[in-house]
Amino acid sequence: MADALPIAEARSLVARARAGDFSALEQLYRAYERPVYTLARRLTRSSDDAEDVLQETFLEVCRSLKQWRGDGSLWGWVRTIAASKALMRYRREKLREWEPLEDDAAPASGDLPLQLDLEAALARLPERSRAVVWLHDVEGYTHEEIAELMGMTTSFSKSQLARAHERLRRWLGQGAGG
Amino acid sequence: MSETRHGTSEELLALRDGEGSAWVREHVTACATCAAEVERLEQVRAGLRALPSFAPARDAWPAVLEAARRERRRQRFSVWSGVAAAAAVVVLAFAVLHRSSQPAAVDVALQKAMAESAAMEQMFESLHPDRRALSGQAASVVADLEDQLARIDAALNDTTTWRSDPDRVAGLWKQRAGLLSALVDVHETRASVAGL
Repeated sequence: MADALPIAEARSLVARARAGDFSALEQLYRAYERPVYTLARRLTRSSDDAEDVLQETFLEVCRSLKQWRGDGSLWGWVRTIAASKALMRYRREKLREWEPLEDDAAPASGDLPLQLDLEAALARLPERSRAVVWLHDVEGYTHEEIAELMGMTTSFSKSQLARAHERLRRWLGQGAGG
Repeated sequence: MSETRHGTSEELLALRDGEGSAWVREHVTACATCAAEVERLEQVRAGLRALPSFAPARDAWPAVLEAARRERRRQRFSVWSGVAAAAAVVVLAFAVLHRSSQPAAVDVALQKAMAESAAMEQMFESLHPDRRALSGQAASVVADLEDQLARIDAALNDTTTWRSDPDRVAGLWKQRAGLLSALVDVHETRASVAGL
């Protein structure tokens, strides 16, 4: 996503918000509310979880505004906070979803593709696997950045992305070979 | 004859992302199956990027604002004395250098206003405002007072205010003390009504 705020406007709003101007803080919130919520929806299991992440993200933004140096994208900074908050939920909830799903087993003969649409196929991915796909393919994070966010290795991120795309291919009805 | 195996998903994804190995780059130029798979992976990525965004069902801004105000109160209480002391040094230095005919007046008015503000701030914090439930009307009054307080704090935290208009600074501290006094009144009234 392109930054909703031009850099000059972002700097001005952040300076005012740091000085205690709540209307500037609200403008920041309104500018990033939807992209943060969308990211949170893609990385969490429910709309309630996503709303929690949205709120936690902006509380952290309020607390940490002084840490944004103004020399990079404000959206990039806010987005990383949002991703961290969403991924932190996995650690808190101790999700155990790295075990292969049933459909990861070798395909049985006559195993028909599911013919899901992309939205449904994405939603069917395990949560952290979906997070890797979204962060890499949509948000543009590198495997190194994803590994750091998730506390995993770079090769782990790469293999999760590959496995997720293999699943998507089956579920989208796009068998190997096109 | 070169290798006959196809590229793995990981290798083809790396190629899609512009990071493929020399082998896979060469392989894809000669293998229609792998070339088609890279094209398909590009299409999936484009499809993901085109998925619609979501809007939250509830507006989280009121909760964020309330938390931001709490945070501001906490920060103000913990740092105000340091800011005030540093600012006082600035204004006094300015007064001595540029207004040598009236340093005493600036000094006295400022010191008095800052002392009043400090006393009110301590009284306000001693009431533990974050722990009190307020009626809708009282909460609205408190929100308005705190917004005014935030604007004054912003002006006092801006060093240009001190440099360009030092006479105004004492007035701001006085206004600050007045607003804190009003906040104390609201919370004390609430405590009295509730029998706390």
